[in-house]
This record gives sequence, structure tokens and C-alpha cells, in this order.
Amino acid sequence: MDSLISVLLIVLLIVPTAAAIVVALLGPHRRMTVRCISLVAVLLNLAITLVVLVQAVPVLWAKSGGPTFRPDYVTMVNILPLGAAGSSPIQFYIGLDGLNIWLIAVTSMLMLPSVLISWESIKERSNEYYAWLLLLQTSMSGVFLSFDLILFYVFFELTLVPLYFLIGIWGGSMRREASRKFFLYTLAGSLITLLGILAVVLICQQHSGSGMTFAIPELVRTVQGFLNSGQTAFYGLNVQTWIFLALAVGFAVKVPLFPLHTWLPLAHTEAPTAGSVLLAGVLLKVGTYGFLRLCIPLTPDAALVIGVPLIGTLASIGIIYGAMCAYAQTDIKKMVAYSSVSHLGVCMLGLFALNEAGLTGGLLQMINHALSTGALFLLVGMLYERYHTREMAQYSGMGAKLKILATFMMFVCLTSIGLPGLNGFVGEMFTFAGVFDLRAPGATGHAFAVALAIGVIMGMWYLITMILKVFFGPLREPHHDGYFVGDLNTRELFTIVPIMVLCLLIGVCPQPLIDSTKTDIGVVVRFADQARNRVMATPAQPAIVQSEPNE
Amino acid sequence: MSDAQIWLIPGLPLIGAIIAGFFGPRRMREQSHWPVILGCAGACVYATIALIRLLNSAHDVTCRISAPSYVWFSAGQLDVQYSITVDPLTAVMLFAITFIGSWIAVYSIGYLHGDPGYARFFAELGLFVFAMCMLVMADNLLLLFLGWEGVGLCSYLMIGFWFAKPSAAAAARKAFLMTRIGDAGMLLGIFLLWRHFGHTLKFTELFDNVTRAFEAAPAETQSTLTLALLLLFCGAIGKSAQFPLHTWLPDAMEGPTPASALIHAATMVTAGVYLVARCMPLYHLAPVAQATVAVIAIVTALLAALIALTQQDVKRVMAYSTISQIGYMFLALGSGRLELAVVGIAAALFHLFTHAFFKALLFLSSGSVMHAMGGVIDMRRLGGLRKVMPVTHATFLCGAASLAAIVPFSGFWSKDNIVDTTWEASHLPNQHLFYLVLFLIAMFTALLTAFYTFRAYFRTFTGDLKVPPEAAEHAHGHGHGVSYESPSVMTVPLIVLAVGAVFVGMILGPTHWLAHFLSRTPAYSFLHHQHTGMELNWAMMLASTVIALGGLGLAYVVYVRHPSAEPRFAVNHSTLYNLSQNRFYLDEIYRGIVTMPATALALLSSFLDMLVDGLVDVVGMIPSWIGAALRPIQNGLVQFYALAMVLGLTVFLCILTLRGWR
Repeated sequence: MDSLISVLLIVLLIVPTAAAIVVALLGPHRRMTVRCISLVAVLLNLAITLVVLVQAVPVLWAKSGGPTFRPDYVTMVNILPLGAAGSSPIQFYIGLDGLNIWLIAVTSMLMLPSVLISWESIKERSNEYYAWLLLLQTSMSGVFLSFDLILFYVFFELTLVPLYFLIGIWGGSMRREASRKFFLYTLAGSLITLLGILAVVLICQQHSGSGMTFAIPELVRTVQGFLNSGQTAFYGLNVQTWIFLALAVGFAVKVPLFPLHTWLPLAHTEAPTAGSVLLAGVLLKVGTYGFLRLCIPLTPDAALVIGVPLIGTLASIGIIYGAMCAYAQTDIKKMVAYSSVSHLGVCMLGLFALNEAGLTGGLLQMINHALSTGALFLLVGMLYERYHTREMAQYSGMGAKLKILATFMMFVCLTSIGLPGLNGFVGEMFTFAGVFDLRAPGATGHAFAVALAIGVIMGMWYLITMILKVFFGPLREPHHDGYFVGDLNTRELFTIVPIMVLCLLIGVCPQPLIDSTKTDIGVVVRFADQARNRVMATPAQPAIVQSEPNE
Repeated sequence: MSDAQIWLIPGLPLIGAIIAGFFGPRRMREQSHWPVILGCAGACVYATIALIRLLNSAHDVTCRISAPSYVWFSAGQLDVQYSITVDPLTAVMLFAITFIGSWIAVYSIGYLHGDPGYARFFAELGLFVFAMCMLVMADNLLLLFLGWEGVGLCSYLMIGFWFAKPSAAAAARKAFLMTRIGDAGMLLGIFLLWRHFGHTLKFTELFDNVTRAFEAAPAETQSTLTLALLLLFCGAIGKSAQFPLHTWLPDAMEGPTPASALIHAATMVTAGVYLVARCMPLYHLAPVAQATVAVIAIVTALLAALIALTQQDVKRVMAYSTISQIGYMFLALGSGRLELAVVGIAAALFHLFTHAFFKALLFLSSGSVMHAMGGVIDMRRLGGLRKVMPVTHATFLCGAASLAAIVPFSGFWSKDNIVDTTWEASHLPNQHLFYLVLFLIAMFTALLTAFYTFRAYFRTFTGDLKVPPEAAEHAHGHGHGVSYESPSVMTVPLIVLAVGAVFVGMILGPTHWLAHFLSRTPAYSFLHHQHTGMELNWAMMLASTVIALGGLGLAYVVYVRHPSAEPRFAVNHSTLYNLSQNRFYLDEIYRGIVTMPATALALLSSFLDMLVDGLVDVVGMIPSWIGAALRPIQNGLVQFYALAMVLGLTVFLCILTLRGWR
């Protein structure tokens, strides 16, 4: 069974690629065939993902932690030997663990609405469009699946290409500028990340005596070995800080962390709906995932000493600033785009609380934001398809006209606001807990907690103001040519309802999900705790009263 | 009843809401009320069974029913369970919620008959009852928060029920947002407690941990505890519409009247009182926090009563009276210092209970008037309705007498308990002046209460018959026999609630059953029990009666004998009158100091973002500038390239030679 799952993981990458090639070769005139093949490929991938989940999640529940990441269902194929004999070469090394499984699931999940929402709206060059979309899926799944640094980086950069074309060809009026800025900005950032990656690899090669390796678990083990044996001469705080900053730049641009976020609103606004959904839902998570998978484990001391105050402060600013900017927007899509800045701030704050609650919250927040914001973009896209405008001022009282869409929008906004019982709440609470329990030199959690609390208020402010402007009030449709505007059709229901069901499910019983990530989050937590022991000479203050075991 | 069956209390209304929500709009239409009414009634039955079981339980320690719990989410040290408990405090709340909720649902059949959002209304009502039950049954703070936000959502949806009306839409947003401000503080408070007192959110464990920490290190614990409790109280201020976050409640009257009655008068707005009562074992350890509760309470009670004096809309008068009465409940909790803690809780809950009856009654009666008068509720356009709406008149009078605390209506007993508690508190060591002042203000507010209540009554129901033209379609009969009375599906709930408003106090007041029952709540074993305050204070009752009758008499003199007195006062003392009528300009002040700066800040951020983006563009242009600087070199002249090569080679050779030489 295990080998079947590992094969399925490879199939997960092959299916969209193959479909992309087939679709591209079909030519621009067979729109229907192109769409159907894409849909089948996406559904097939979703089915495979479900099989993998059913098999893998119980395994993850029972998994026990080790000194480093231990992915399951591994495939390792040597690609390119580098360096002296005995070195591990660059490998095709993919696997599954608690940190990536749900991100892969979300990727497969969001592809379905992405294809469905493009069904009618993409009319020109549809074969190329779907080819790029499917290729994007390959690269996104690839990033999360990779356990080899070079493979990771290749997939990481590969995500840029399809999205560049998706925005640049099928985007709005400023698409060229948007795609160019998006491409160059993220590329520039990730080149610096590459420097950091190489630095880690080279340091490990020099000092471990076991040759060069690009395998992430191997590198993490080596680095932790250095740190725990007290060999701080070549991997002290100083070195780590530089590496941490280098790694962080690329990921921070991707996240995006304030003040590196300005590519995002433009790219989001100009991208076709599917592009926005995948950009917000998955690609931003590549950044946060990079922090979780690479930054924190490879440079734990720096993450604690520099990361917590620096990233924490930027994230806090981002939460409030993003919400402020979101409120000021008149374009609904741009508002949603800025809300991403705010929500990802919450996610980063959770991750950089560097404790179990915070990291769990950060990971949950990634999934929640993918679902909520993805759904928001979809609904905005549906509204746009009907009236061809996204200006809030053009709309009023749409709740009376588009009842289902309005109800869904309300629901999705509530998930985004973090209403208890829906998904956003769980992640937010863990983030709160993580931040309150923050233990790091040079930072107190209470300031971050206040920022979070302000975010809680402001997150609601812009969203329900949008609902007030667009869906409440006397009915006034934007000017259109008098064609019939109906409520959601069956295709659109299939697009949005699954996401809403998942939102409710995660809100009501998130524990199976949390349990499956527990072990691997635990690995990262242990790195952070060891870093705490190294960095903070004095042991952390215990709580006034220690927790009593439940009787 | 097995313990697990208490899950049915929130469960049944939820199921009803889901059925009404999914099948109502298309299939059930005008029958959509059935699942919700049955759900609420079922919940009421189970709540009553639970109440009886607790009444019969032999020991104080076992005076609770806990259902088996399930994990909600848990990781690290944050562990949240779906765990619910019914203890005396909860049982009293549950009974009030489900009983009044059921009758209001029945009333709504008539009130919303023919509304296009009929099914939606009942789905929201069911959801509300579910959330409110979860709120009072939760035995940890985050599950309580689930109910807390759930009722907030329902309140938002209900206020915005007629969302096409701009004022309703704006009021809905205002309510949701203002309560959310309090909720953010509440979350901070919850996590502060969690962080410092043993990483637990369960009430019993929290009380235990705090009490032990307090014994170990009083000073240190107290400062943290005070901060946490003040933050927690922020949530209560928002939800219970206390000063300074009270301005959303009067606007909330834009919603359908049954929703106003249930959510914005009888139940949801008392959630804050419940929260503080539930956490009383913590509050009584933090005198500063408790004093703050008392001060906020009395300020609110007085302020709201002053505003209510001049409002022209009956529903608004009732809204301000709700704010004021909830202030009284908080006053009782704030006065429950030291050994008075249980007495304070009992007084607050007693008033909460009677208030739920008489205020729901008053709202529904006003709704009945509004229904009959074609949506008009402005006192200036109404008058003498006594004759044409006899049932509504009688029930409104019962409610008004109870609100004004006239002997022997319910409100008299419970309000008397509260002022008595405050009076007793002024006898505590070191508290004389503080609580004496509170007591005097409370008495003055009682006078105002009786005055404005009967002002509304006299102006609406007595005098010459004045019926607005909008009411024409609701008239039955012709000529002298014209009647505007509402259908029986609306009047029956009015009569039921009126019976409650008249008799509940008489039964529970002199006997102190409620106080005895509440004092058996297991969590209150943390409180001191020496003084139970179960004897009647005859002098106090006399004073209360005199004051209430004084207010009534004053209203009679002003509005029946000298109807021109109010306009004359408005002209002669226009500053005072305008201050009251314009609600002390608080809405305008908030717009000036909160809304406008926040909006300006948002615009500023948005502008700043363009600057940041511009900065990035500048950085992005550096390569092209460098390119521009270097472009002249690439001039395409072969001679120039050859020259450059030769020069470069020369320099290179020079360097090599020089280095080799050295």
C-alpha cells in the first residue's frame, strides 16, 4: 500500500503536466474538449489526493517524532551528482508529512473551482490558458512535496512562469505591468533565498564530513547536530542571522510580509479569477511554508532572536496596515487582496510564536486563508462576470437580487472574520494562544496580541462595510445592457459550495486535521525549544500556577 | 433524563433552524415556523426538566448536570472542549431563554405574516436560541465565546432583516462592529487568564487555580487578574450595551419587533450580566474590577434613563430603559462585594429574570401597536389607544407597572433587591461613601424610570384617540366599534408574558427561592457565604414604593393634567432638553473621535501604500538607470571596441607585470 501511495504522489505531479501538454497541443479552437480534459485532470487529481488523505492521515495520527523531518511515502531518485564521490547528489526526493499534506490537499481542492470559474469567462486562447493553469498545479504541488532543496527551489521558481502568463495574457487592463512586477519582485527575492540555501548546503558540506547533500531532512539533522553539540564557531548566531535573513527575503516577498507586499494588490486585481484564487490560496502559502519548513529548522537560533521581534513586528504592522488599506479600497477585489496582507500577518505571527499552539495556528491559518480568501475571490469573480465592474459604489442592495450569492458572500466573510464554528476562528485562537505564550528574548507577546486583537476588530470592519455597501440598502444594479442577470447556476454552485462545506467542517471539528500535523509540528517545536535553551540563559518564567492534570 | 440529553437543549433549536433555513424559502414557506417553534418548545421542556432535577438534587456539590464532552480543538497547551453543564445559574438562564423564546416565536407568526423573509426570520430565531443556550451552558470560556459571537451574528442578521432599508442596514453594521470592539478585549482577557492561571479555560479549574494563586501571592495575582477581568468586562460592556458602547442598542430597534424583544431586550443583551455572574468567583477577588463594574453600571443606568425621558419613539424609550435596567443588574454584581457576593448575583439574576418577562412584554406590546398602526410608533402621532386595543393596552400596562417597579409587580421585587444590595454594600468596611453615592443615584434613576415609562404609557394609550392614516388597513369594524386589536396568535403570547410580569416577582421575591437556588451553584462555593441577605427590608421597600409612585404621579401630572408641559419645558430649558433628546451627542462624538479618524487613517494607509509601491518602482528602475549610464559604451563602433580591448589588455598586462615584479 505504501508503495502505491508513493506512486500516487508522483502521479499527482504527472497528471496535470500530461494534461497541460495534451491541452496545449489541441489548438485554440477546440474549447470544449480543452475544458473537459482540464476538468477531468483536475478531478482525477482530486480523487488521487483523497485516496492519499484517507491512507496517510491515520498514519500521521500514529506517527512518532524523530530528530528531523521523516516524510512518509518517499520517492528518491538521483538526478545529478555534485561534488566529490560519496556526496548525495541532487535528488528527485518527494514525500508526505504533517506539514505539507494539507497544503497539497488544498492545492488539489482549489484547482476544481479554478477550472470551473474559468469555464465561461475565458474565451480566448483557452488551450494555452488551461495548459498554464495545469502546469501551475504541477509546480505548486511540487513545491510542497519536495524534500530536496534544489527540487524545492526549481518548483518554487517554476510557479512564477505559468502565473506570469496567466496574469499577463488573461488579466485586466494593467495586466502587463502587474505580471512584470509580480515576476521580477518575487524572482529578485527568491534569488536571495537561493544564496541562503547554498550557504547552508556549503556549511554543512564543509563541517559535517559526510559530503554534500541537498536533502532537507539530512540538512536539518546536520544543522541540529552542529547546534546541539555546541559547535557555534561556524554556525553561531551571527552566521545564522545572515542565513536567516537571506532565506527570509524570498519567502517574505511571497507571503507577502509588510513592506514587501506591494506587488500583491496589483497582481491580484489584474489576474483572472482563477489566478487570484490560486495566488492567494496556494502561492502565498509557499512563502509561509518556506518559513516553516526551512527558515525555522535551519536557523532556529536566529529565528528566535531576530525572527521573533523582526517578523513579529512586521506581521503585526501588516495585520493592521493591511486591514486599513483594505477598508480604503473601492474595488472589491483589491479589498480582498489587501485582506490577504492582513490575514497572512496573523499566520506569520502564529508561526513565529515558535510554540506548538502558535505553529499549529499558523499552519491552520494557511489552510483557512486558502479556503476563505479563495472563496472570496470566486464570489467577487462571479459578481464581476455578471456586471463587469468591481467598484463597490456601483452596487447597492444586491442581496435582494442575488440571494444565493449574497448568502454565500455573507458566509464566506464570516469565515474570514473568524466567527467561532467556522474555520478562521480555530487558527486565530491558536495564534492568540501562541502569542500569549511567546517566549523569546527581545519580544513580549502582549504587544503582538494587542495587534491581533485590533486585527480582529478591523477584519470585520472592512468586510461588513463591503457587505453593507454592495448587498444591503435599496437595490441598484450597475449599468448593464439589460441582459438577464440570474443568481448562481449549477456550475457556480459546484464551484463554491465544496469550499464552504470545508470551512464549516474545519470550524466544527478541526481536531483530526490538527492531530495529523501534531507530530511534525512537534519536530519544529523541539528545534525552537532547543534554541530557547541555548539562547536564553535563564529558564523561562513558569506560569504562576502550573496546569493541573484533569481528574 | 440522562446527562447527555442536555445536548438537546441547544440542539433542538439548531435543528429547527437548519430545517427552516434549508427548506423554508422554497418548500415550507408560510409553515416555516413549525420546526423552530417545536425546537424551542422542546428545548424549553428539557430546560424545565433539568431545572426540576437540580431543584431536587440533595447536595450542593452535585447540583449540576454535565454532559459528556467532545474535543473541539486542542494542541499545545490550548485545549478546548465541547463541554456543557447545567447548574442553577445556567438553569435559570435557560428557562428564561427557551420559555420567552418560544412565546416570541409564536408571536412572530402573526407579526411577520406575509413577509418575504418569513422563513429566514425563523431560521435566524432558531439559530439565536441555539447560540444563546450554548453561551449559558458552556463550561469553558471559548465555547462561551462561540455562543457569544453566535448571538452577535444573529443580532446582526436580525437588525439587518429588512436590509433594503438603509437605516436598518447601517444599524446592523453598527451593532456588529461595536460589540466586536468589546469582544476583542474579551478575547485578550480570556487568553490573559489562560496564560497566567494554569493554561486552562474551564471555569471550575480556572476558579480553582486563581484562588490558589491568590492565596500564594495576592498582590501579584491581583494586578494580572484585575487587568484580565477588566478586559473580560469589555466584552460584557459591548454585548450588554453599557456605556460607552451602548449606542448600538437603540439603533437596533430597526429590526423586527419580536427580534428586538428577544435579542435586544430579554436575552442577548443580558449575556454580559451572565458572564460577570459566572465569573463572580474571580471578580470578588479583584475589588478594582468590581468597583469598575459598579461605576460603569450606575453611569449607564442614569445616562440611559435621562435619554429615555425625551425620546418620542416608544421602541426607543424601551431600548434606553433596557440599557438602564441592565445597568441595574451590573450594579447588583458590582455591589456584591465580599460576603454580599451571592446576594448580588441573586439580585442581578432575579432582575434579569423578571426583566426578561416584562421587557419582552413591553416590546411585544409596542410591536402590537406598531403592527396595528401600520408601522407607526411615534408617540406624537398616537394617543388614546386604550379603547381600540384593549388587550394590548392591558398587557402594556402590566409591563409598564413592572418596569416602573410599582408594588406588587415583578419589577418591584427585583429592583428592590438590587438597591437593597447596594445599600447593604455601603455598610461594608471602607466602602461607605462609594456605595452610598451609587445607592442614591440608583434611587434617583428609579424615579426617572417610573416617570419615562408612564410618560410612554399615558401618551400612547390615554387621552383622545389619535390613529395615523397608515393604520387604516388593520382596522376591524366600522364607526364606533372600530378595533385595531392584533390577532390572537399575537395577543396570547402577550397575555402569557403579562402573567409572568405580574406574578413572577410575587412568587420569587418574598420567598427568596431564586436566591436560595442560585446559591447552590457549585462554582459559588468559592464565595463567602456568611451573609445571605434573605430577610425583607421593609423600610427599603417603602422607600422604593414612594419613589416609583412619585415618578408615576409626576408623569400623570405632566402628561395627563398638563399636556403642554413638555413642549414648554423643551422651550424654556432647551439645552437640557436637547442634550437628552440628542442622546448627549454621543453618536456625533464617536463619529468625530473614532469613525472619522479611523477612516482617515485608512485613507492615509492606502496613500502610504502607493508611496511604498513607488519606492519599489524606484528600486526597480535602478537596473535601467545603470543600463542607461552604460548604454553610450555600446555604440557599435568597431574602432571604439578595439580601443577598449587594447586599453583593457594594457591595464591587465601592467597589473600582471607589476605584481610579478614585486
